[in-house]
Amino acid sequence: MSNKSRMSKALVRRETIAGYAFMLPSLIFFFGFVIYPMVQCVITSFFDSTMNREDIFIGFGNYIELFQDKVFLGALRNTVIIVVVSVPVVCVFSLWVSSVIHNLSGPLCSIFRCIFYLPVVTGSVAVTVVWKWMFNNYYGIFNYVGKATGLIDQNINWLGDERYALGCIILILLTTSVGQPIVLYVSALNNVDQSLVEAAEVDGATKLQCFWKIKWQQIKPTTLYILVITTINSFQCFALIQLLTSGGPNHSTDTIMYYIYHTAFKLYRYGYGNAMGVVLAIAIAILSGIQFKVAQSD
Amino acid sequence: MKKKSNTGSKVYRVFSVIVITLLAIGFAFPLYWIITGSFKTSMAINAPTPQWWPQEWVSANYQKLFSRQTAPLWEIGIPFTGKSFAGPVVPAAIRWLLNTIFMAVVSMLLTCFTAAMAGYALAKKRFIGRSVVFTLIVCAMALPKQVILIPLLREMSSLHLYNTIWAVILPIVGWPFGVFLIKQFGEGIPGEMMEAAKIDGANEWKTFTAIAYPMIKPGVGALAIFTFINSWNDYFMQLIMLSSTSNLTISLGIAKLQAENATDFGLIMAGAALAAVPIIVVFLIFQKYFTKGITMGAVKG
Amino acid sequence: MKFRKVMALALAASMAVSLNAVSVLAEGGDTTDITLWTYPVGSWGDSAVVDQMISNFNEAHPEINVTVEYLDYTNGDDQINTAIEGGQAPDIVLEGPERLVANWGARGLMADLSDLWTDEAKEAIYDSVESACQNNDGVFYEYPLCMTAHTMAINKDIFEQAGALQYIDEETRTWTAEDFQKAVKAVYDFGQENVGAVYCSGQGGDQGTRALVNNLFGGTFTNPEHTEYTANSEENIKALELLSSMDGINFDASIAGGDEINLFCNGTLAMAFCWNVAQEKNNAENLSFDVLPMAFPAEDGKPQLCGGIWGFGVFDNGDEAKVEASKTFIDFMANDETQVVESVKASSYWPVKDLGNIYEGDDLMTEYSTFIQYMGDYYQVVGGWAEARTAWWNMLQQIGSGADVTEAVEEFVTTANAAAAK
Repeated sequence: MSNKSRMSKALVRRETIAGYAFMLPSLIFFFGFVIYPMVQCVITSFFDSTMNREDIFIGFGNYIELFQDKVFLGALRNTVIIVVVSVPVVCVFSLWVSSVIHNLSGPLCSIFRCIFYLPVVTGSVAVTVVWKWMFNNYYGIFNYVGKATGLIDQNINWLGDERYALGCIILILLTTSVGQPIVLYVSALNNVDQSLVEAAEVDGATKLQCFWKIKWQQIKPTTLYILVITTINSFQCFALIQLLTSGGPNHSTDTIMYYIYHTAFKLYRYGYGNAMGVVLAIAIAILSGIQFKVAQSD
Repeated sequence: MKKKSNTGSKVYRVFSVIVITLLAIGFAFPLYWIITGSFKTSMAINAPTPQWWPQEWVSANYQKLFSRQTAPLWEIGIPFTGKSFAGPVVPAAIRWLLNTIFMAVVSMLLTCFTAAMAGYALAKKRFIGRSVVFTLIVCAMALPKQVILIPLLREMSSLHLYNTIWAVILPIVGWPFGVFLIKQFGEGIPGEMMEAAKIDGANEWKTFTAIAYPMIKPGVGALAIFTFINSWNDYFMQLIMLSSTSNLTISLGIAKLQAENATDFGLIMAGAALAAVPIIVVFLIFQKYFTKGITMGAVKG
Repeated sequence: MKFRKVMALALAASMAVSLNAVSVLAEGGDTTDITLWTYPVGSWGDSAVVDQMISNFNEAHPEINVTVEYLDYTNGDDQINTAIEGGQAPDIVLEGPERLVANWGARGLMADLSDLWTDEAKEAIYDSVESACQNNDGVFYEYPLCMTAHTMAINKDIFEQAGALQYIDEETRTWTAEDFQKAVKAVYDFGQENVGAVYCSGQGGDQGTRALVNNLFGGTFTNPEHTEYTANSEENIKALELLSSMDGINFDASIAGGDEINLFCNGTLAMAFCWNVAQEKNNAENLSFDVLPMAFPAEDGKPQLCGGIWGFGVFDNGDEAKVEASKTFIDFMANDETQVVESVKASSYWPVKDLGNIYEGDDLMTEYSTFIQYMGDYYQVVGGWAEARTAWWNMLQQIGSGADVTEAVEEFVTTANAAAAK
């Protein structure tokens, strides 16, 4: 430690050169295809920009309009709902599944793990094909089973009804999201120090106490990692919406990600779409910042 | 007292296993339905009462899928000469698979290569601006690609990469998640070992390849699998960047198939099966490394 | 050591194999390469048929090499829009004036096709088609090939069993708004839970829902000058209120036109609002019942059917040679005496000029030609069309979710007119 604080200037220079040399290939891609477009995005967001016409500078015009746009605010709300619902549900669900299956015999456990991972590997586009059919208003399996078991007495238009559409999207998102957390939790739980658990049990701790006091503490880093990747995942949810509902009915499944696409290629308003992108990026950066602060403080 | 709680927990466990088994059936169902559906007749697939097991197995859907569109198996261009070589004409779906494999493999290799070095540098080099770069990376990690959709499209257009597979690959490689992941691994490299290597006269590159790389290798493995599956299943960048039939990827091809033939579920299922089965086979083969890889990524993180 | 191998492999792979890099390259030689992107206009979406026509073309013009891409109505527009931004717009697009003239033409992306519109062509091509193919300044952005009338269709078997055939005039294929209500009620009471669907998940086939609403009580979608949207007229509001209150008519936000056709063909729905002769031809093998194509119900019994006009537009990609080659292609497809018949037949629609009866002895085509007389105004050339149609299906979704019809329609008209004014 102490030699680091007394690093000589020459050493700093050498480390800097070496550091950037190692970073270089990555930075080329990162700056070229993430940062540069992002800067462009910020610049264009101050313009009224459309197809095949000179951009017109309008200052904060796009941003002002943005916060008066009902559809955008709705999309913002839906995006928040998706993230706020799916992240905790994914964590709790996968923790529960893992806590049950990690006790099972080896092959059985890996079969379960595998099955829960299947929707992730299958890919959203292929999975969507089936879900679209399952949710179908007229011959879908949900209505069929629902009616056969008497749970519903009339066909429900799952994806075509404002009340259900977002829920259906979230449900599919959940099935494609829990695979990785389950794998992670299973191995985290297997790594819990059994002697500590046994010692606590001898001391008369209840199952619940055992869980909170010992297991939970040990799987905390895993949980934080899962929170991060699930949040990223939920924000990336685009294919499901584009392929299943196109943001409808009545904008009830519009997310900002989809609305940006819609604004750009249906309404030809590039500047406006970019302004949305900037707002979303800021929101996400703040969220990531908070997550990392929390992670570090622990 | 103790006995009672044991029976209680036993009941709970049996109950949970049953519920989880049911859920597992639900999770496996879409894939089951894709595969069996792709062999059903159109009558069976559109039947008002679902046919849980195909009464009659037909390959008509695959025949239709393969006879629909054609494309050359490959088109290799020699840059700046105007010459290109096209392969034999095959069903477009085969070309889409090839494109997807190419894209996933190249993305994976490039990502691993750049991220291994950058992650190592971020973890072990104390250079000026390190924390700034790291903060940028963390902030950009969760950034959905839709945000930079328009600028990226224009950039690819001016680089003449629009409608080439590179327009999909480059942003995947640029996504800094890999750097972050490897950096977490790199933290674990003991400084003394690097010091020792330096004293032995190893240069920076040698230190990296001989000392650091073996230690971050599991992380690179995890990243490789992660990138491969992610880019295989990515859809958005492909949707934006690729347009001609012979340049499509398999997921984009299936999405188009669905849009063109909303009615022909058998055909769509055959396409979906073609997209899903190869990647699932890869997953099953590498399953062990895979679970190990992602687990290690998390534990270190 | 292993790392080096991996790295070498990565570099080798990325440098040696530049798959798809072809598009970067400059074209050389004496041939001109052009790209044709077609929407599925009849068999113009079928590669076997199109390849045949292209080989006809190449016999006459071996110096022009045509590559074809096939679009669909769900994503086609987005695909062209991204290609435009990506700097690789196609050279020729086969579609209608609402896209070629009102959208891309209005954005200054299309080449002026006035030299194809010779006096002879103007003479031959029907006036209504001619006016649809040009913008307000008389610049032609489309050279038309074929046209049809969009109709609706009913499942004759179900209607017969439900005793609802009495409400339609099988001779003229017309019915009044009242007949329509009675017929739907009869079919619904007969036990057909889903009689018809006002589909509104996207823009596919949206002309059908507009024609239904406009015809019922004689409303119009735009003013006659095509400068303003008038969907908020009393007649239209009345029609929408009626439709949303009818049992058996679902406002279905989970399906678009193509899905509706499928549901009709498999007997789930008893009527289809998105229909024309091509649908009956394409679905012939799936149909297990008699289809009766019908005009949209109109209170006064005088339906105004929405026409479809399809033709070619050329993107001005800044390469004069390509624009010229594209014009040569269009001229061959739409004007060559033997080819034009084949081109039109491939669309399974009718020619835009008098070519004699090209469907001699074809009963189906004869049956559908009844509807040509009901062709109404081609209004899909109003400014801001792309935005307006988006707002239209969104409005239907709102009404389907129980929103107040008047408010929803007013909102639609405000949005659409704002887009038109831009």
